[in-house]
Amino acid sequence: MATSTLTLNVNGTTRTVTVDPNTPLLWVLRDTLGLTGTKYGCGIEACGACTVLVDGGAEKSCDMSVTEAVGRKITTIEGLSPTSTHPVQVAWIAKQVPQCGYCQSGMILAVSELLKSNPKPTDAQIDSAINNLCVCGTYQRVREAIHFIAGN
Amino acid sequence: MNQIATPAVARRGFLTGALATGGGLMIGTAVPVSGRAATVTTKAVTTSAVNAFVVIGSDDSITILSSGAEMGQGVLSSMPQILAEELMVDWTRVKTAPAPSGAQYLNPVTHSQSTGGSNNMRSWFKPLLKIGAAAREMLVRAAATSWGVTVDKCTVANGVITNTAVTPNVSLSYGAVAAAAALLPVPQSPTLLSATTGYRLIGKPILRPDIPSKVNGSAIFGIDVRIPGMVYAAIKNAPLAGSTVKSVGAAPSGSQAVNLGDSVAVTGANTWAAFQNARSISVQWTPPAGTLLNTSAAIDTKLVSLIASGPAAVGEKVGDLAAAMAGAKQTVSMTYDLPYLAHACMEVLNATANVTATSCEVWAPTQGADLNLYTAMALTGLTADKITIHPTLLGGGLGRKFEQDFVAQAIKASQALGKPVHLTWSREEDFGHDLYRPVQKSKVTVGLDAGGNILGWNNRIAAPSVLQTHFPKYVVNGLDTAALAGATGLFYKMNARLVDYAMLNANVPVGFWRSVGESANVFVIESAIDEVAAAAGKDPLAYRQAMITDSCALAVLNAAATAAGWGTKPAAGHARGIAVYYGFGSYVAQVVEIAQATATTIKVVRVCCAIDCGQVVNPDTLIAQMQGGIVHGLSAAMWGQVTFANGAASVRNFNNYPLVRMPQMPKVDVQIVNTPGAPIGGAGEAGVPAVAPALANAYFALTGTRLRKLPLLLAPAPRYDD
Repeated sequence: MATSTLTLNVNGTTRTVTVDPNTPLLWVLRDTLGLTGTKYGCGIEACGACTVLVDGGAEKSCDMSVTEAVGRKITTIEGLSPTSTHPVQVAWIAKQVPQCGYCQSGMILAVSELLKSNPKPTDAQIDSAINNLCVCGTYQRVREAIHFIAGN
Repeated sequence: MNQIATPAVARRGFLTGALATGGGLMIGTAVPVSGRAATVTTKAVTTSAVNAFVVIGSDDSITILSSGAEMGQGVLSSMPQILAEELMVDWTRVKTAPAPSGAQYLNPVTHSQSTGGSNNMRSWFKPLLKIGAAAREMLVRAAATSWGVTVDKCTVANGVITNTAVTPNVSLSYGAVAAAAALLPVPQSPTLLSATTGYRLIGKPILRPDIPSKVNGSAIFGIDVRIPGMVYAAIKNAPLAGSTVKSVGAAPSGSQAVNLGDSVAVTGANTWAAFQNARSISVQWTPPAGTLLNTSAAIDTKLVSLIASGPAAVGEKVGDLAAAMAGAKQTVSMTYDLPYLAHACMEVLNATANVTATSCEVWAPTQGADLNLYTAMALTGLTADKITIHPTLLGGGLGRKFEQDFVAQAIKASQALGKPVHLTWSREEDFGHDLYRPVQKSKVTVGLDAGGNILGWNNRIAAPSVLQTHFPKYVVNGLDTAALAGATGLFYKMNARLVDYAMLNANVPVGFWRSVGESANVFVIESAIDEVAAAAGKDPLAYRQAMITDSCALAVLNAAATAAGWGTKPAAGHARGIAVYYGFGSYVAQVVEIAQATATTIKVVRVCCAIDCGQVVNPDTLIAQMQGGIVHGLSAAMWGQVTFANGAASVRNFNNYPLVRMPQMPKVDVQIVNTPGAPIGGAGEAGVPAVAPALANAYFALTGTRLRKLPLLLAPAPRYDD
């Protein structure tokens, strides 16, 4: 396995990694950089557990190679807020959204992106924008928490 | 009270250490999670284990351990909530952590540390009150002794003990006396303050302490465990269950392969590399001997013959069925059909093991810490005192993480490699090598009199046996009582009844799945009751109201029906269906409202749920469990199925195992119905079973077509990509 040394911008910090350049960003975050908040669910972009923000846009990191991430700003759940007080995080606690919590890192990042572009989404807009899988079935609380943030 | 650990009973690990030294252990090491915990060590603080469940720091930090596996149901919060009631502490200051494996944590009813069957709260409610009270009395006694006063001169509130014998009063915090308290004998009959004052915390919708860690990425699931010196590994399971490894080809460059007997572990530079290596390595297998029944069509044929005739084990027999049927004015007979289901936990199976010649440590997202201990003992030959199991948070459990396969693989790989191993299953392995919820057919024959009363009820169940493969000693004369769960002791008026069971012996691995036997049997019974009501020309609700003999069942039935507006005309193109059952110590009724979406599809609009689980600990968590259980039941009812071709599962990832997503989420209303003084019932399983029959019943109300086969496939599979 040939490795390359790559420079990444993760949560505002420059990180240098030496990995197989084909490695998905997900596994570099989790196994190389120790940022385990980003989760593996399917490996085929079908569940959204691995969602991170790439230049501010929600992307699935399980099928994006680390090489594609070079030169872009990566934000993981650990970097969403230095004090864990992003409005989505605050609402998630207020509404007690997570159950097992495994999918919530991806869910929270996807919602944070939605609210940036659309601060007052309708239910239909939420349905259209948020397609992360939550096997615990927290969807109703996700919706309530979004409306809570939006002041709807 | 062996669940209150005395110093002599505490087995090993930080509890014993703290007790033996009267403190001195760091908080970071007191949280048995992972390497990350060590980074939060607060240096100057010592902790003392007042008993097996309570660790108090000299900084007044309070950690309450939960012996339940936290897989989303909130047991890491709700068990400590019960204990904190009597400990008299400020809940906002309480931290909680999973307990390691240990005799002190065995469920007092099941004598196991496994979480399943909605057993934790039911078994632990009263013991935890006593454990909290015992810890409080030890703390108060330590303070009283330091003041030279009797304990009756002390009051306690919010973790502070006050000496009222002096003016002005003086106080000591729990943290100040914890080390002394830990050395005192454990009171065996402590006084419950809540018995006279009522509950202070129990019954309140308090915030779960695990949730902040679940919104910032710091929560540690099994898959997040990182141990110094560990290697990443992935699994290659045998394509055909029951096979053994014949030979293993060369390991891919830079990796090591370990023959585990029934599977092969392959290492890699990271988890992804290990996945690639496990996929690419060549392994020859020896399949199990004999003719295998592991193709869905053949299994179906066998089930058809099993329900038609032949011997069956009697699960329930009341009255003379043949005579009752002979006197019936009308007989209806229905056959219901349920598929194998996958667990599909969000977190794939994984475990981390560090085995040396003299010790074994395991970190796993496990529903059965005690079972992991037995597995480790059997594999390593070490005694229990040399083994520590660290249960982590679970990214869903659903019955799958009670199994031992993935834990055994990590232990064996660590033994072979001589270093810590973090073993992860790919999603494809997780779906393809599940122990599936059993397939089932049920034939229900009902004899009615002219008024629609049930004279005779016959339910023949044919299904594989989970008990036979997991706990064969509990199968007596071919009867698997777990397969009959929810099918016997029904609360409907019935004169004669016979419920019997014909075991299917197929070569597809089966296991417990959220809501176990009730996941299948409640669909059968509540569909059949609906059919009987229709045959009798009665409204489904009115018929149930007339036939139900249990006032608690009637109460939830009426509550759900009223909330759903039963009796008012639904909107054009809408219809409602209802189902009610008793299981896991709780009564649950659900009304599902659906709308015609296209000529051939429907949309689930709303579910009104009523639950009576007796004493409620955290009503918000209870509501969350109903919401989640309904989603789980709805996904399975709509689309859930795994079929097999020569043992190969049809499903390998989320792209062909459709589950409810945001657009499919109906509005769910949950009502809590309280029966004063009722014993505490379960919640984790309780929300699941009634959804499928209520949905099929709604479809009958909408279309006049009765659906007896799951999945219903009444809506397009949710899109899974973006």
